[in-house]
Amino acid sequence: MAEGRDRDVYTEPSPRTPAVPNPVTFFQAFFSYVVDAPVTFVREWIESRQAKNKFYYYHQKFPRVPDLSECMEGDHLCFFEAEAQWRRDRMVDQQIVEIVRERLGACKQREGPNQFQNCAKEIEQLAQVTKAYQDRYGDLGVHGNARTCLMKQKHRMIEERK
Amino acid sequence: MAAMSLLLRAAAAWGARRAAGGSARLPWAAGAARLPGTVAPVRYSSHGKRMFIIKATNFYDARFLSLLRFYIFLTGIPVALFITYVNVFIGEAELAEIPEGYVPEYWEYYKHPISRWIARYFFDPPEKNYEKHMALLDIEAKKTDLRMTELEARRLMRQRGDGPWYHYETPDKNLIDNSVKSTPDN
Repeated sequence: MAEGRDRDVYTEPSPRTPAVPNPVTFFQAFFSYVVDAPVTFVREWIESRQAKNKFYYYHQKFPRVPDLSECMEGDHLCFFEAEAQWRRDRMVDQQIVEIVRERLGACKQREGPNQFQNCAKEIEQLAQVTKAYQDRYGDLGVHGNARTCLMKQKHRMIEERK
Repeated sequence: MAAMSLLLRAAAAWGARRAAGGSARLPWAAGAARLPGTVAPVRYSSHGKRMFIIKATNFYDARFLSLLRFYIFLTGIPVALFITYVNVFIGEAELAEIPEGYVPEYWEYYKHPISRWIARYFFDPPEKNYEKHMALLDIEAKKTDLRMTELEARRLMRQRGDGPWYHYETPDKNLIDNSVKSTPDN
């Protein structure tokens, strides 16, 4: 359904007044000659020049360091590295939630009136991901750090044990 | 200016018509609501009467705006041209997977060529920054530890009295001269 209609099965009805040309095609042709073609030409010329000496950028991969729960007491360097890693992981989790939310939005936009039936998977996924995020990072507040998160995890485990 | 003269001419014509029919109207309404140049109907050879318009000066405003534009464009235009040149002829980097066995330099994590240049030649690598931060933390942590142990040692020495601190030297009791109080009559 998302990849377009099968034109043989769902044939369009023949237009009743074929003598009158559609004015929209005139505007489309005007736009394509006056705006689209020059812009595309300039862009392709620029890209052909830039393709001669290309260079790349990468996404930085950070090596894993021992967690806060594996740090010795009083080892402030270990605390610092674990804190930095926790903040990076929290940013990654925030982006994960954002991506899942965008997927749901795209699904709703695509499906239109069928969204309640066809987007059930995305809705379920978003519910799970937000619940997981709330459980882990939820009420830590703006001054939340790796230590408070660890304490929250400890309390969650205590609650589970009861 | 042309509209102004047209307006004045229309006002002069209207005033002339008013003055011609002024005897039939109320006498005190004859000279009311006139533009300054249209008190009497006069034929001028040029485009209306030359007026000395009195209004507040905009010399200072115009000078300020002119200077503002000058100083903004003095560096703004070269910078804009440079950035346009970089964007068109050098172009931004493309995202790629890190190849096997290759460790990218720290400036190769940026997309725009000017950001890469600044990161490469001006800023320190983030690893160096990180290590500096950790070195400061290490020094402070060691200072804290030393201070805590010093406080603990002081506490224990005061409590037990067997250490070099909180220990006041008293002279030997054999040095005391008891001859002063040795007889009952002193």
